[in-house]
Amino acid sequence: MPAKGSKPFTKEEELLLQDFSRNVTTKSSALFYGNAFIVSAIPIWLFWRIHMIDVYGSLLPFLFVTLASTYLIAIAYRNTKFTLKHKIAVKREDAVAWELNKKLSEDKKMSKKEKDERILWKKNEVADFEATTFSIFYNNALYLAIVIFASFYLLRTFSPLINYIFSVGTTASLLALLSTGSK
Amino acid sequence: MNSLCHVLVLSVLFYTGYCESCKNVEVSSKSFTTQDATIVTNIAYISEFIVKCGSGSLSHTYADVDGTIIPVFEVGPSTFQVSWTEDIKNARRGEVNIRLFDEDGYTALRKALRAGEEISSISPLFAVSIYHPGAFNGPWLKSEFLAVALSVVVAYLALSSRSKLLS
Repeated sequence: MPAKGSKPFTKEEELLLQDFSRNVTTKSSALFYGNAFIVSAIPIWLFWRIHMIDVYGSLLPFLFVTLASTYLIAIAYRNTKFTLKHKIAVKREDAVAWELNKKLSEDKKMSKKEKDERILWKKNEVADFEATTFSIFYNNALYLAIVIFASFYLLRTFSPLINYIFSVGTTASLLALLSTGSK
Repeated sequence: MNSLCHVLVLSVLFYTGYCESCKNVEVSSKSFTTQDATIVTNIAYISEFIVKCGSGSLSHTYADVDGTIIPVFEVGPSTFQVSWTEDIKNARRGEVNIRLFDEDGYTALRKALRAGEEISSISPLFAVSIYHPGAFNGPWLKSEFLAVALSVVVAYLALSSRSKLLS
């Protein structure tokens, strides 16, 4: 929100701010929550078929842990995406500019400013897409690796229910925590 | 009195002839050992053998398996069975030799044991062997280890490509 007495932001400024904010679009958010839900629900199969947990007796813990884990992983996705997006934008800048310049070189009518805007927009789109998909891959890979390791080795001696709650809950919290770091 | 003595001598001769120990033994044996040790706690060894005596007969038999004397059961006419179990950790692999003794041999064995002598020096009536190829103790690489290893490889790829992007 702009400070009192100052002019409200122009549309371009709003767009620019959105590019640099942690907020994600609804589409991106749906993608994150959908993915986070799927990956949080996968351990149920592991505990049901491999650790032989009592499925009907553990429906409530399944529900709560899955929902909590979905929320935490979605946070991790969002934070990781935010950290990566601008790094990726810088890395892909030249390639995007080169490709678009080649494409638009025949169009003599287009002004330099418009070209630059298009490049910026395209660069943002590419970085956004790459950061989103990489963030999902990165967090899923870490989540599943830690859950499998914790459930088979660290918490092996506990009952399956305790094992489930702690391995899934702790891993999701850990990922959410780690994603807040900038490095 | 004289005829009574004759009857006695004849009957003694008859019974000693009847109970004559088994000679010229022909043995055919088959065996079983536990092959899958994943769901059991002990390895079973069973040997069943059919004994054909050239002359005489065999009623009671005793087996010596590496210094332990085990009774042998008659499960059919001239068919005997000996069985024992061993802990999975101590179960021997390869040929296990079973030395078999009749009553006379068993008496000699007991005598030797009482005297504290080596029983391996007493020659058996016959011997059979069991071949135990070793039991399956589950896969060498456990599936959970494999799952962890694969997921760690994928996680490593994710971490390394992240650090590459952030560098």
